[in-house]
Amino acid sequence: MKPVLGIAGYVLREAMSRKFILAFMVGITLVLTVVALSLRIEVVDGALAASRLFGEELRNSIRSVDVALRPVYQAAAFLVFYGGILFGIVACSDFAPSLMSPGRIEHLLALPIQRWHLLAGTFLGVMVLALGGTLYGTTGLVLIFGVKAGYWTAGPLIAGLLACVGFAAVYAVMLTAATLVRSAALCAASGFVFLVGGIIAGYRQQLTPFFEEGLGREAFRAVTLVLPRLSALAMAAGDIAASTPLEVHSLGMLLLGVLVFGFGALAVGFWRFEGKDY
Amino acid sequence: MDNRGRRRVWLVVAAMLFVVAAVLMFTGQGEAPAMETPKVEFPRRMRAPERARAERRRTQVLPVQVDAGTQERARPRDPVLAALPRGEGKTAVVIEANALRHSPIGELLLDCLMRDGGKRLEELRNLSGVDPLQDLDRLVITDDGMMLSGNFGNAKFKELLGERVSMDYGEGARVYEPGDMTVTRPDGSTARRRSEAAVATWNNELLVIGKSPDEVKAVVDRVEGRGPDEPPAISEGSTYGEMYGVLSVDQLARLLPKEQAELAERIRQVAQNVELHVDASGDVAMVAEVRGANGDEVTDLGKTLGAALSMARIKAQAEGEKDLAQLLDFARVQPDGTSFKLEMAVPLDVIQKRLAFCKEERSAAEAAER
Amino acid sequence: MTSQAPAIEVRGLRKTYHRAFRKGGTEALRGMDLTVPEGSAFGLIGPNGAGKTTFIKSILGIVQPTEGAIRVLGGSPEDPRIRARIGYLPERLHLPGTWTAPAFLATVTRLKGLPVDPAVNLRLLERVGLSDAVGRRIGGYSKGMRQRLGLAAALVGTPSLLVLDEPTDGIDPMGRMEVRRILQEEVRRGTTLFLNSHLLAETERVCDRVAILAGGRVVREGRLEDLARGGVRWLVRFAPGANTEALAAAGFLRGAAEGQYAVEAEDPAALNGALDRARAAGALMVELRRDGTDLESVLMGTVEAAA
Repeated sequence: MKPVLGIAGYVLREAMSRKFILAFMVGITLVLTVVALSLRIEVVDGALAASRLFGEELRNSIRSVDVALRPVYQAAAFLVFYGGILFGIVACSDFAPSLMSPGRIEHLLALPIQRWHLLAGTFLGVMVLALGGTLYGTTGLVLIFGVKAGYWTAGPLIAGLLACVGFAAVYAVMLTAATLVRSAALCAASGFVFLVGGIIAGYRQQLTPFFEEGLGREAFRAVTLVLPRLSALAMAAGDIAASTPLEVHSLGMLLLGVLVFGFGALAVGFWRFEGKDY
Repeated sequence: MDNRGRRRVWLVVAAMLFVVAAVLMFTGQGEAPAMETPKVEFPRRMRAPERARAERRRTQVLPVQVDAGTQERARPRDPVLAALPRGEGKTAVVIEANALRHSPIGELLLDCLMRDGGKRLEELRNLSGVDPLQDLDRLVITDDGMMLSGNFGNAKFKELLGERVSMDYGEGARVYEPGDMTVTRPDGSTARRRSEAAVATWNNELLVIGKSPDEVKAVVDRVEGRGPDEPPAISEGSTYGEMYGVLSVDQLARLLPKEQAELAERIRQVAQNVELHVDASGDVAMVAEVRGANGDEVTDLGKTLGAALSMARIKAQAEGEKDLAQLLDFARVQPDGTSFKLEMAVPLDVIQKRLAFCKEERSAAEAAER
Repeated sequence: MTSQAPAIEVRGLRKTYHRAFRKGGTEALRGMDLTVPEGSAFGLIGPNGAGKTTFIKSILGIVQPTEGAIRVLGGSPEDPRIRARIGYLPERLHLPGTWTAPAFLATVTRLKGLPVDPAVNLRLLERVGLSDAVGRRIGGYSKGMRQRLGLAAALVGTPSLLVLDEPTDGIDPMGRMEVRRILQEEVRRGTTLFLNSHLLAETERVCDRVAILAGGRVVREGRLEDLARGGVRWLVRFAPGANTEALAAAGFLRGAAEGQYAVEAEDPAALNGALDRARAAGALMVELRRDGTDLESVLMGTVEAAA
């Protein structure tokens, strides 16, 4: 486990030195600051009486602040989930290809670490990074709404954590793609494809009737059976953030399933990486 | 293990993980169609069936007054609307009994009504000749009394009220003064009862119950176009929902529990009248529009009401009263100048759960009878 | 050669690179046999495309052989415990530009599974001549400085085998001397040095054994002096005014330059006999040296012969 942590540390240190990541953190901070300074929420005994954004009064009905903020939290959860994964795809697409670049990979492979340690460490490092960004952004959001509305909920935070699990599955695929072709663009493209596939997989039940009965439908069902059900996870994240009942049967199982899919993709990456010459 | 062997292991592990992931996701998400989140439709305007219903009810043909130079105010042609009290500050609530009977909530209420196997309903049917489930259309509650509309062709008014002093009134009405009446018990014996209410029947369509013969006569006058020119308490455009009407501020304040005495007092001070609409075609949803003269005061009252609802919801949540908390989830206040709308709802499944015992008791009673 | 187990032992090593959607493949190594004795300073030379880098990557487990057996330090290069005893400097080492040298060395130390001791790493940086640049970011280093840092990274954990691919590439002449000194120190300490350098003079100065690789095979291998030995021919320079004819009679053939002559002598007695005859003819000797071949000539001759 020590080499994995070592590589994770190496990846994290490398990431922290990237200006892009720093720009992202500054961006999140700016968004949070703007929201914090421009949003005025008037709460009377737990009811949202009025809200103003940039001084303009928003048409709002007076109702329980947690109920009134549900759509806001739900939107925030979706934003955190999909926005986070999208940003993760773009920001992290270069890590693995750059780690496998000539002059670096030979040096790393000559070190006394197993090849799979290298991939697992990269995966872990990127996940820690994703988790850090998510915690920073969502905690800020929770704090702003908490202070402004007096309503404290860990919903957005939980949504962010779910997004991290979704991103784990997507990034595992990206890492595996990097072992096949060392290209940041292809790495990102594979991430996008699996994100879209994951959204479709979450709605497979609703989409199945659009396919002709027979081979086409069965093929769709078979493919979407294996893909990570990201949209289902996003819906669950939205539900949790808005404190509404979950639509999925068991969030734990779904979460574990998406994570296990990620590990499966990672195992394919290990298989390819073990047999690759650099 | 050599490299080739190690690679084979990774491939097998990957295949196994994908299978496990598929099973977990399949079970976790579930393949059943996604459960619809409770969505309540609030009665905010007239819908097409209600518009058609209002049109069908325009049965009254009123004499056209030819009076050059003066514009005749359009009088309601629906006898029930015409019978309603006229002017501001009156209370009149219409319950669409027939529509309610055929709504999901009506089915539940019917179960409760028939908990004894339908004996009481049968008694009422035999006694009055009126089948409340078939013949009753609307029930109206006003400050002065009550009105029932429907098809009372088979009603045994004469048998029931025959002993009272009665007279024909207007074009199609008969007015019964307060007095004794003989009631036949199920065992065949009879009993005499004194009733202080005056009753009027109109064309076998309306049954008016009031405090005095003059009051019921005034109602008949209004139906037959002899009443004041003021518009009725409920306009035709407001006849939507399974229950609707206007409540006087006093009535509304009286409905609030004692703990809300302060709020009741504020309502008395700020509000002028309250228009109420309840939709029971699916979930039970209520919209109450509170009007007042001063916009700021009305908005403040709206905020206070919103806060009170919110507090009630928080309390319900804290005390673990899930049903009540869910009910109050839908509660909100929409301010709009000199009025605000208060919306509240009870999802059908909550009512179903609460009234489930009625169905069980009805089934048990029916089984026992068989 | 010592009696100990060799540091590197390769038998019948073949490597064919296959490309997707292409038939056949490129044969980089075609049955290579090589033994590198422990404690030796071994140089690998050969023309471009001979398979030198593939060979180095093979003995480090970076490239997996198609056929053949590789044993490094008595074990398989796939074994991390074996690789822990190897220090490697790749040809084009990529260094993280935003890091400082101590941070980079600390990470390498950690990845080698060793406890990080900043003092030790600082000494290592001093040894490679980077003590002045400790606080600077690697991105600001010159090519030579980067190469020195790479060498320091290879030296982390005092490895038993140093595999260096072009270690003096980009380093100035003074720096090269420094690096050479360090490598010689390491060899004296008992470390096996495996060097691949296109600077043949560098190999000549540092290594005691050399292998020439051409076309994926070892075409010649042995002690440097054995490979570079010129045979029985000696070059002699006499002071101006020597009698050319008399010298020719004594067996000295006139060379291109003034006073330059060549003589063939099987042994020292024959050489001294010839010199005595020249001196008897009045010639005064000012310089004597064996007409040896430098490494470049050896490489050229070997590769041409193999072709």
